[in-house]
Amino acid sequence: MNYHILKKDGLDGFIKKLAGQMKVCAPVAKGHGAFAFEEVSSAAEISLKYIPTILPPKKYFMPPREKMLEFDLNGDKPKDAANLEPEKLALFGVHTCDLAGIQCLNMVFSERPRDYNYLLRKENIFIIGLECNEYCDGNASCALVGNHYPNGGYDLFFTDLGDRFIVHVNTQKGEELAESQGLPKASPADLSALEKARDAKKHVFQNEIGVGPKLLPEIFARGMESKVWQELGKRCVSCGNCTNVCPTCYCFDMSDTINLDMKTGCRTRTWDSCQFETFASVAGGENFREERAHRQRHRYYRKFKYPLDKFYRSFCTGCGRCTRTCMAKISLKDTLKTLAAEYK
Amino acid sequence: MTEIKNSNWRLRKGQIVAARQMTDLEKWFEIKLEDGDLDHEPGQFVQVEIYGVGEAPISVCSSPTKRGTFELTVRAAGRLTKYMHGLGKGDWLGIRGPFGKPFPVKLMTGNDLLFVAGGLGIAPLRSLINYVMDNRREFGKVDILLGCRTPKDMLFGDEIEQWQKRLDVNFSCTVDRTAPDWKGNVGLITSLIPGVTINPEKTFGVVVGPPIMYKFVIAELLKKDMPERQIILSLERHMKCGMGKCGHCQIDHPKNYYCCKDGPTFTYEEVKEAKRF
Amino acid sequence: MKTTDKTEHTPAGAAGARTKPKVAFFDFASCEGCQLQITNLGETLLDVLGAVDVVEFREAISEKYDGVYDVAIVEGSIGDSHAEERLKKIRERSKVLIAYGACACTGGVNGMKNGFQLDEIRQYVYGKDYKLFDSTPTRPVHEVVKVDYFVNGCPIYPPELIEVLKHALRGLPYTVPDNPVCAECKLNENVCMYERGVACLGPWTKAGCNSWCVNNGNICYGCRGEVKNPARNAAADVISKYNLKPELIAKKFEMYNKCKEGAK
Repeated sequence: MNYHILKKDGLDGFIKKLAGQMKVCAPVAKGHGAFAFEEVSSAAEISLKYIPTILPPKKYFMPPREKMLEFDLNGDKPKDAANLEPEKLALFGVHTCDLAGIQCLNMVFSERPRDYNYLLRKENIFIIGLECNEYCDGNASCALVGNHYPNGGYDLFFTDLGDRFIVHVNTQKGEELAESQGLPKASPADLSALEKARDAKKHVFQNEIGVGPKLLPEIFARGMESKVWQELGKRCVSCGNCTNVCPTCYCFDMSDTINLDMKTGCRTRTWDSCQFETFASVAGGENFREERAHRQRHRYYRKFKYPLDKFYRSFCTGCGRCTRTCMAKISLKDTLKTLAAEYK
Repeated sequence: MTEIKNSNWRLRKGQIVAARQMTDLEKWFEIKLEDGDLDHEPGQFVQVEIYGVGEAPISVCSSPTKRGTFELTVRAAGRLTKYMHGLGKGDWLGIRGPFGKPFPVKLMTGNDLLFVAGGLGIAPLRSLINYVMDNRREFGKVDILLGCRTPKDMLFGDEIEQWQKRLDVNFSCTVDRTAPDWKGNVGLITSLIPGVTINPEKTFGVVVGPPIMYKFVIAELLKKDMPERQIILSLERHMKCGMGKCGHCQIDHPKNYYCCKDGPTFTYEEVKEAKRF
Repeated sequence: MKTTDKTEHTPAGAAGARTKPKVAFFDFASCEGCQLQITNLGETLLDVLGAVDVVEFREAISEKYDGVYDVAIVEGSIGDSHAEERLKKIRERSKVLIAYGACACTGGVNGMKNGFQLDEIRQYVYGKDYKLFDSTPTRPVHEVVKVDYFVNGCPIYPPELIEVLKHALRGLPYTVPDNPVCAECKLNENVCMYERGVACLGPWTKAGCNSWCVNNGNICYGCRGEVKNPARNAAADVISKYNLKPELIAKKFEMYNKCKEGAK
């Protein structure tokens, strides 16, 4: 594979040309230090320096509310169909933590029985990554899980080299786009500049909790009864912010809506949260995760324990969103540090 | 617009061909799918959709040896099931499934069987009991223990009478609270277990009932030296998607089981570390 | 609480397939803003009118109807004995009763009356002849008659009323969401009000409004009422994280949640 160069003053032309081909979504400043992926048509609208967006790019792969089935009760027996109009879309400026998040969801939804809604959307999304040369803020823990460097998951990947971006091409589709945009090949000098930038990151990004990631499964295996869960439980609001903003939370609920004709309607999938009180309750009244402490514990285990056994990777991408959004100041890094300290 | 023909959310169309109120809370339905047999195995469940109302997971209570139709016993517990009690012959349902890991019928072949059913637990267990009856010579001694709250809560009374008459099955039953015309046992289901003679190495215990029952029944079976992996349970969780994705049915256990995919049937060995059954 | 009606799960629309269900709107102590939301439904209103027969609606039609209502939709709280009698009569004539709007569901703003001694507030409002004016502590509708469905909010969120109406017509129970407003607010990707430096009642208030206010740049005032199991301890964390005064949040709650505390 190879590298191209895009001069920074050429970015606007790049985005405009791309926007002529498909919808382009990129991080946009929303004020008060918040950002969101939104449709753009020029480089001026994009925030190249941004902390992780309120919602991760998962919203394009698995929309918060999605129609999964339409039904029609006119006639002798019901009819239904699963229809989808997948939108051709380019995501620009996706950080490495969010690329990792998308990779996690890809694994989940391509596992059988497959989720064709997700897969069809994914096939229509072109992904352009953007490297972080420094931390977004102190809430991130990407170095802990090794997501501060790119590990695939994109078509093109941009790294800022001052006056220009060096663009790594990861897919044939990416190469075709780079060529159609007329991006020149990177020179040996560009490549050594990239190497230097990556080297510099080694000093900037350091394991945020001071415990090797290899120890995490063992820490969690022993941490089931830790006091930390009760402490979290006392503080948790059960608002579901942490799971809604998580790039790898994918739990959902299904519900039916009927139209006023009482004959046609649809089934909708909506993001759900294991933090909600009734999430694990059954019709008979039993609630298998009644306490906030247990629900918080469950969330952490779904990031640091279960997926490691099943998919061989952490489902915490280190983006720091859950900490940033928590109404009650529950910090992922602090929780991990407490668990690690108890382990020792 | 792309039609996702192989979407796992599409529904098979099933028509209710017979329905009968069994108790105040439970109603029995016989359903015929327009596209053929359900092709399930004992212990599996289906997602039942009432269009415009919603979906609920219901275990299949008929044996796959019965072809053409399948049966459900539905307790009016939630929004969908209450609504479903208003349906009857001729009404259409949407069906997804069958889902879930069935009872390990193959492993049970050549062994003695001890069935322990509490309350509505008889519904999923009936799919296995009837399967065993239809393949009776494949198995050794068969004991069925049934517990219900009161005599009038007993489901499948007619069928149970048949089981009682059979020479190749030992059937015992107990009620928590007696009634004037009840001549049988009174007491918890655990009180029936000591009276059963088993050859532990060659017996599978299959236990299905409300969550509270498991702990006590399992303790009795362990007392009889039944190996942990020969104690089979069927656990209850809210299985919303049936595909191991939506997260609702996940069990608090180091192995991260999804009840809908890794269960609902488990060996005790598999789930003994679970926080709750 | 007396009720003569036991039609909880009987579909209101089942009575006659050929005749459309009769729906009537009533108002008690309220600003009638919820009725206004109905008249503002626009195109959806035509669909509603295609499905039901509106027989009483003071804000839009002048006819009166004397039969049985398939669905009575009641706005406003109950603050005097005349209202109580009238409401009981409506209940007797209705197969299904929907309480809609904060006043009807939780007492709403009218609940603030209960923060005073009754005579004190009567005197304040009616002057020295206050004893001539009938007045009782504010009660939400379900404290007077049986309510089958609740549509919270000040005003109601119109799509939710339509949803509830469809449930009522089919005899299906409707569960008011019991998650905090944040749950929906996040899906709408709003910048958190606390990040803007403003205290918002979203973390303790029942969702179901699709975070309507925050979507439009306003805070959540708690009009849908507190969730069943609010996080009491968390308030301290929230307040300290955002450097706010504790009284601020407590005071904001008084606007819509006063009735819950009971009358003085």
